[in-house]
Amino acid sequence: MAIDMSMPVLVVDDYNTMIRIIRNLLKQLGFDDVDDASDGSAALAKMREKKYGLVISDWNMEPMTGYELLKEVRADPGLNKTPFIMVTAESKTENVIAAKKAGVNNYIVKPFNAQTLKTKIEAVFAE
Amino acid sequence: MAVADASHFDGLISFLKQKRENITFHDIISLAEVAAQSLQGFFQAMDAKVYRELREIAGYIDSMRTEIGALQVNDLKNTRIPSAGEELGAIVAATETATNTIMNCAEALMGADASDPAAYKALVDEKMMIIFEACSFQDITGQRIAKVVETLQHIEQRVARFADVMRAKDLDGFINDQERARAERKEKFLLNGPQLAGEGVDQSMVDEMFP
Repeated sequence: MAIDMSMPVLVVDDYNTMIRIIRNLLKQLGFDDVDDASDGSAALAKMREKKYGLVISDWNMEPMTGYELLKEVRADPGLNKTPFIMVTAESKTENVIAAKKAGVNNYIVKPFNAQTLKTKIEAVFAE
Repeated sequence: MAVADASHFDGLISFLKQKRENITFHDIISLAEVAAQSLQGFFQAMDAKVYRELREIAGYIDSMRTEIGALQVNDLKNTRIPSAGEELGAIVAATETATNTIMNCAEALMGADASDPAAYKALVDEKMMIIFEACSFQDITGQRIAKVVETLQHIEQRVARFADVMRAKDLDGFINDQERARAERKEKFLLNGPQLAGEGVDQSMVDEMFP
């Protein structure tokens, strides 16, 4: 399945630097419509205002974590089909298993490179 | 527990045997005297034991005061820990400034017009010099981190010595509600944080879990 490069992408991270890095990588890949949010609750509010084609979220944020955001998204009938990639420094097996069980589409461990992000986005849209 | 002098009790018993009947006021006073004499030894022994125990407690308190003094808690609280906090704050600020500077350069280059090679090369040279300068943050942050590590070692040595001398055992539970809430949140949302090299899973292991 071809990826629609015009789809809006939401990047969720509490570190502005990381948002900037992912935004630039997405831009290099051809995604121009990129929004950001600094935690899960801000992201959820944005997702209820605008339909996003992909969410790329960190895990460890205050007050709402990326894990909580994922569970909220999957529990919401209007949002539960949104592809969701976790990009996080949380690299314990229990984190990956919990995220998979909660319905994450793919998982990237920080630090990561542009090729990994590209591969994972392609994998999600090939499903 | 100290015991009363047995000879006084013997006297008391023989007195009672002799005076089973016709006990006078004088007899009662005599009885009281014998009883008092019998208990005197007991109280003397008890006084000595209580005194010895109190002296041991005083010695322990004195030693504890010395050990608490050796912890240098006021120095830790007022100087070393705040100073370490400031160093860490300065490290965060320095890395953030350097990262922003480098990213500004990278974004400027990514968005630059490359149609004029000479102008483009001049821009690349200029931005590269700024990137080199920004990377100098690592030297000073290394020195700041060394100071923080030194403070942690200072605290570790004193706390370890104190715990050893006091034969301290760890208690369960939390110091306050905030600490409890943080621990519960960490457990509930699996906030384990970054793992050290060799711990946790790497990207290739994650990929195997997402075939």
